[in-house]
Amino acid sequence: MFKEIFRFELKYRKKRPATYIYFGIFFVMCLLAVTTDIVQIGGAAGQIKENAPFVIARMTVIMTLFLTLVTSAVMGVAVLRDFEHNTEAIMFSTPMGKFSYLMGRFWGSFAVLLFIGSGISIAFLIGDFWPGREAEKLLPFNFWSFIQPFLVFVVPNCFFTGALLFMSGTLSRKTIVIYTQGILLLVLYIASQTMLRNLEQKELAAMVDPFGLRAFAYETQYWTPAERNTQLVPFSGYVLYNRLIWMGAGILALAVTYFGFSFNVVRNALIRRKSTADNFRKVQSVSTTIPVVEPVIDTKARFRQLGKLTSLYFTSVVKEIPFIGIVIAGLLLLFLNAINMSELFGTSAYPTTYNVLSIIQGFNLFFLIIVVFYTGELVWRERSVKMNLIIDALPIVDFITLIAKFLGLLLVYIGLLLVLVLSGIVIQVAYGYFKFELPVYLSTLFTETLSFLLLYTFLSIFIQVMVNNKFIGYAVCVAFFILTGVLGELGLEHGLFQFGSADIGTYSDMNVYGHFLTPFTWFETYWFAFSVILFVVAVIFSVRGSESVMNIRWKAGKLRLNRSMVTLLLGAAVLFVSSGFFIYYNTNIINNFETSERVKEQQAAYEKKYKKYETLAQPRIVETNLKVDLYPYDRDFTAEGYYYLKNKTTQPIRDLHIQQSNDHQLTVAYLKFDRDAKVKEHDEDFRYYIYELVAPLQPGDSVKMSFKLSFVTRGFEEQNSNTNVVFNGTFFNNTSFFPALGYQDDYEIGDDDDRKEQDLEEKERMLGRNDARGRGMSLFGDDADHIRFEMTVSTSNDQIAIAPGYLQKEWQENDRRYFQYKMDAPMCNFYSVVSARYAVKRDKWNDVNLEIYYHPGHEYNLDRMMQGMKDALAYYSKNFSPFQFRQMRIMEFPRYASFAQSFANTVPFSEGIGFIARISDPDEDIDYPYYVTAHEVAHQWWGHQVMEANVKGNAMLSESMSQYSALMVMKHAFTPETIERYLKYELDNYLSGRATESKKEQPLELVERQNYIHYQKASLIFFALQDYIGEDSLNAAFRRYNEAWRFKDAPYPTSADLLGYIRQVTPDSLQSVIHDMFETITLFENKTLEAEYQELDSTHFEITLKVSAEKLRADSTGMETPVAINDWIDIGVYGKDEQKKDKLIYLQKHKITQKENTFTIRVDQRPRKAGIDPMHKLIDRHSSDNTKSVVRKP
Amino acid sequence: MILDIRNLSKTYSNGVQALKDVSLTISQGMFGLLGPNGAGKSSLMRTIATLQEADSGSVTLGTIDVLKQKEEVRKVLGYLPQEFGLYPKIDAITLLDHLAVLKGIGNAKQRKELVETLLHKTNLWGARNKNLGGYSGGMKQRFGIAQALLANPKLIIVDEPTAGLDPAERNRFLNLLSELGENTIVILSTHIVDDVKELCTDMAIINKGEVLYKGNPLDAIADVNGKVWKKRITKSELEAHKQNHQVISERLISGKPEIRVFSTTQPDSSFEAVEADLEDVYFTHIFSTQKEAVAV
Repeated sequence: MFKEIFRFELKYRKKRPATYIYFGIFFVMCLLAVTTDIVQIGGAAGQIKENAPFVIARMTVIMTLFLTLVTSAVMGVAVLRDFEHNTEAIMFSTPMGKFSYLMGRFWGSFAVLLFIGSGISIAFLIGDFWPGREAEKLLPFNFWSFIQPFLVFVVPNCFFTGALLFMSGTLSRKTIVIYTQGILLLVLYIASQTMLRNLEQKELAAMVDPFGLRAFAYETQYWTPAERNTQLVPFSGYVLYNRLIWMGAGILALAVTYFGFSFNVVRNALIRRKSTADNFRKVQSVSTTIPVVEPVIDTKARFRQLGKLTSLYFTSVVKEIPFIGIVIAGLLLLFLNAINMSELFGTSAYPTTYNVLSIIQGFNLFFLIIVVFYTGELVWRERSVKMNLIIDALPIVDFITLIAKFLGLLLVYIGLLLVLVLSGIVIQVAYGYFKFELPVYLSTLFTETLSFLLLYTFLSIFIQVMVNNKFIGYAVCVAFFILTGVLGELGLEHGLFQFGSADIGTYSDMNVYGHFLTPFTWFETYWFAFSVILFVVAVIFSVRGSESVMNIRWKAGKLRLNRSMVTLLLGAAVLFVSSGFFIYYNTNIINNFETSERVKEQQAAYEKKYKKYETLAQPRIVETNLKVDLYPYDRDFTAEGYYYLKNKTTQPIRDLHIQQSNDHQLTVAYLKFDRDAKVKEHDEDFRYYIYELVAPLQPGDSVKMSFKLSFVTRGFEEQNSNTNVVFNGTFFNNTSFFPALGYQDDYEIGDDDDRKEQDLEEKERMLGRNDARGRGMSLFGDDADHIRFEMTVSTSNDQIAIAPGYLQKEWQENDRRYFQYKMDAPMCNFYSVVSARYAVKRDKWNDVNLEIYYHPGHEYNLDRMMQGMKDALAYYSKNFSPFQFRQMRIMEFPRYASFAQSFANTVPFSEGIGFIARISDPDEDIDYPYYVTAHEVAHQWWGHQVMEANVKGNAMLSESMSQYSALMVMKHAFTPETIERYLKYELDNYLSGRATESKKEQPLELVERQNYIHYQKASLIFFALQDYIGEDSLNAAFRRYNEAWRFKDAPYPTSADLLGYIRQVTPDSLQSVIHDMFETITLFENKTLEAEYQELDSTHFEITLKVSAEKLRADSTGMETPVAINDWIDIGVYGKDEQKKDKLIYLQKHKITQKENTFTIRVDQRPRKAGIDPMHKLIDRHSSDNTKSVVRKP
Repeated sequence: MILDIRNLSKTYSNGVQALKDVSLTISQGMFGLLGPNGAGKSSLMRTIATLQEADSGSVTLGTIDVLKQKEEVRKVLGYLPQEFGLYPKIDAITLLDHLAVLKGIGNAKQRKELVETLLHKTNLWGARNKNLGGYSGGMKQRFGIAQALLANPKLIIVDEPTAGLDPAERNRFLNLLSELGENTIVILSTHIVDDVKELCTDMAIINKGEVLYKGNPLDAIADVNGKVWKKRITKSELEAHKQNHQVISERLISGKPEIRVFSTTQPDSSFEAVEADLEDVYFTHIFSTQKEAVAV
């Protein structure tokens, strides 16, 4: 019997076009994904080949997420369709058994589902042989790398989701329950995503995600490009556990289905509904006559109709169980997200309203589901219960029904948004935070979110009406979301082409909504007008009555174009066109708009035209004296003043090459020299100008270059409008707007793929370490060595403006404030201009004035930052050299960027990374405001006292040394456990950073702008190094290096110079460590195999520890080769302290020279845990197996 | 007020011609539209109820152009579709009140009175607070008529209202219809001849989209009276009789076929004269079109 039913199921599905359509959709999508850029599903990048097993596997897993949609349709209806088509009575009265019926249907449908799912792998496979694939981006064809992910992911995922949805469809006998179930799966998946942010929850996330994507990501997180190119997904570890768990869940679902399914037509509902007996069979004598009430259809009646319908539709949505389910699921997720609020190093931020809002934004996905789903439901409301003919014959004007549906949804949205505001407040209260900013809640949710909802509601009404099939309508809506990316690919990047493109921008406590509000309003107007047009079209074509053929709908619809509809349509069209023109005028006429493709072309053209001047000798700036007038509320400024340029070469210089900023808002009022010069090249396109001095500049001579720039903001820009010059919180530096000398290689395209497209050669990221030109310039470029600096900044009367140097004078004039700053010693050519409405906190460390300029209300961490400055200044001046300034300042800037940056005696510090950090438990949370402060203060030494050469390895001398310095300050301020936790994050970030390296991983000494190396890896390496050779020794090396190079002009030091000092303080026995750490990429694979102890007496315990240790060396792609081990490695034992916390009771370095080692260690406390390298000082990809619980010897 | 249908034709996109040049004039009172399943009754009624477009022809209700001024028609229309559902999660009184508002009855007191009366009239009063999802077919049908009677309609269209009702339900339903004022045009479509016989003053028989007969039921009977003959035969004789006579109907009586034939004279002595009824009229007309169809 089973076989019969199975065969019937296959036969039935074989005839359904849907089967082939689903297969086709997946096949085509996947084929497009591998052969074009139209569909993007996490493909290859950089060194990873397009058909690398890793890439194929990842794309396959991601596609199974989408496959769930089909699973709902295929598996859910397997039994349900008997109920929907009322064939259940016929089916159930046949002599088949329940088991064969259910299993036949299940396995038959499952086979069909696998067929559909195979479209994914087949497409990838065929894609490998597709003409036009670039051979150099492909690996040789490997059949198994396509089949294995199918077996490991597609089959189990289909099985689990299939069984689950089969269960819900069969037991509930309702389509809607199936879809709700699908949403629950999605929630699990997203929930697992939010867990990832916390290092401790990664394993949990790997188990929770039913699709196995997290498990896959977990197992491959530290895979290097080489491994990604060669290795198959391991069917072990968390991938295996995950698969087993969810396959088990699938089997469970099948069992529940079997036992829960009743083979009766009339089922025993869980909640027995009282049947409505018709007790009035006997004819009553009804003598009353029907009262004659004449209907009146006037305007009032129309509004009454609208109100009635609106409330009917509203209640019909909110009463739906699935709706409530979706909302609850969304809220649950929201609260789950709130647990880990914008974490950095596992430390969360204060739940300010904008932080809470960004969590609330996580609900948008659910909103989207509600929009698509319930628009469909409402458009089909009457037809789905077959009441349409009654309703359609009522005297209701055609558009009222659709408007009522729209308004009903609007009410739903408003209700939900209010619920969200309430949830936000609940989250804030739960954190003990009581600064509710209701206006911020309301103005974000009721502008951006609500209009996003309404636009998509209009669109989805339009789609549902035009397509006139609910499910195809859903599919078209989903396709629309996927295809919005296509327009961008076709070069239609402008917001005028991107449906609903209005963006309210980033909210900042300092700058509120800033200047984003104006373009937001205009784009919103534009798309609303467009949506109203769609709506009118929908009204015309909406089906009323029994006609659904397009041309008859048009024939009937024409009649609906009465005067008010025509007025509405014309009004909307006029608004659409005129707002479109207005936007175009603003973004493209008075401002510049360039597609990303065009930008690349420009970059390439610049390089091709001017690269020849790159090595041309130019004078260097030796003095800068500027007057900058900021008009923050107009977002304008002018800058006027002069540079002194000195010929530091040995040859006369005749031609001066000036590169002005390419920002279209900037105009050069004048640029002149204090001697005769004529313009030799005047390139307005690239703003590259060559002046020929009549009398060449002799070696040692200087020329004064005066200029005036004005920066004027006109109208608004398409997107990416600058966030440097803003109402409150202006922050820019000299490289953004001020003239530079000679060819600027920063303008070049960096990405090799993009370069190839523009016919450019591949490019090294930095100059070689011994390159003479590179050594002749500092990290701040070749425009200057040290400069004399003076700047007068004026700003609006309510703001404070700050530039490097010491305040000489402050005054008011014409209702503006003026600040004159001057640096009394030469400094590097890197300076900032900052202005905002600040409050100031002042303090002193020795004779150094400490100041924090902050946004009032952001007082939370000022003391920590102040302490950070003090501790840092104290440590660095004691261990490295005296502080060169009399003042140190931190100033807050809006959270458009999340960094802090060190200028001479000046550190702009983002609102987003520290000012609102919430250090609730100093023992648990990593105090990153303190740490970031210490890092930035360290730059006053590493970067400002000693500028390094602009060659490979340079960041090791500024960023890495600052990381180390800050780490030492932290080490003395915090517990070792905190440092350990910090280093764990650094290790994780380093290992995942190298996994996504796009070009080549460099050893630390040759780092080329690779954050994961010069920050994260450097923290680990320098911490381990000071552990090996001693903090004092390493500091001594830093001190000598500083002494030798501080305040020097070219040539500048390189990492080789620092390593020389480090080698001096390193004993011979450890010299090889330097090679491992700095000159190569070295990894360890340390593991504790066995740990047992014997109790000799109550204070003597003997531990036998068996550990394995391997040492590996990786090349730039991550290809590893084992090398002989001969290293001193920590062996440690933990006991418990009074608070039952782990406490190190033994820690000693042991020389390890072979893979397997056994140690016998005596301690005086009962041991709990023991292992090799327990504090993770060495770089190890599996750090969790370093220690093991110690068991008592039997 | 008179409903005037002129030369109405309609062909569906699948090629089926639902209405062929239909012309009817319907005045106030009960009008019966008789025809087998698929005859085009519903198409005609939907067209009059503004729910379907016609390819050609015209329909006027008094001065209203039904095909264009749909809004005006809807204001005076009460319509009960052949097949319909109701919002399952709403009770009867709420939905009826809702529909009353939509029909333009703004005064809350009047509306309440009207809704309650109609619920009494349709015997739904006791079940007024029950969700419509739990209603039986008959109750649903009665609710359908209740909503069609809201707002004093001038034109009531009820499409096969008795299909699927048990005899008691059907009687009650017809009683309700018969109570409707004489000032109203009521069009009742059915394939059950008795419905028309019991209620209608005027009627039309249509099949395959064509009007075969229009007029008074009594006249119709008079037309065929004396031309219908019956005979009891054996099953084996059936085919022969069909070939030789114009057999309009056959039925089994105690397991033996009885045929009725149409003939102006007595075919032979084995045939017995019968008093013609409306059913004979109906079958006569239907039979003749079917015969033609076969001939073509």
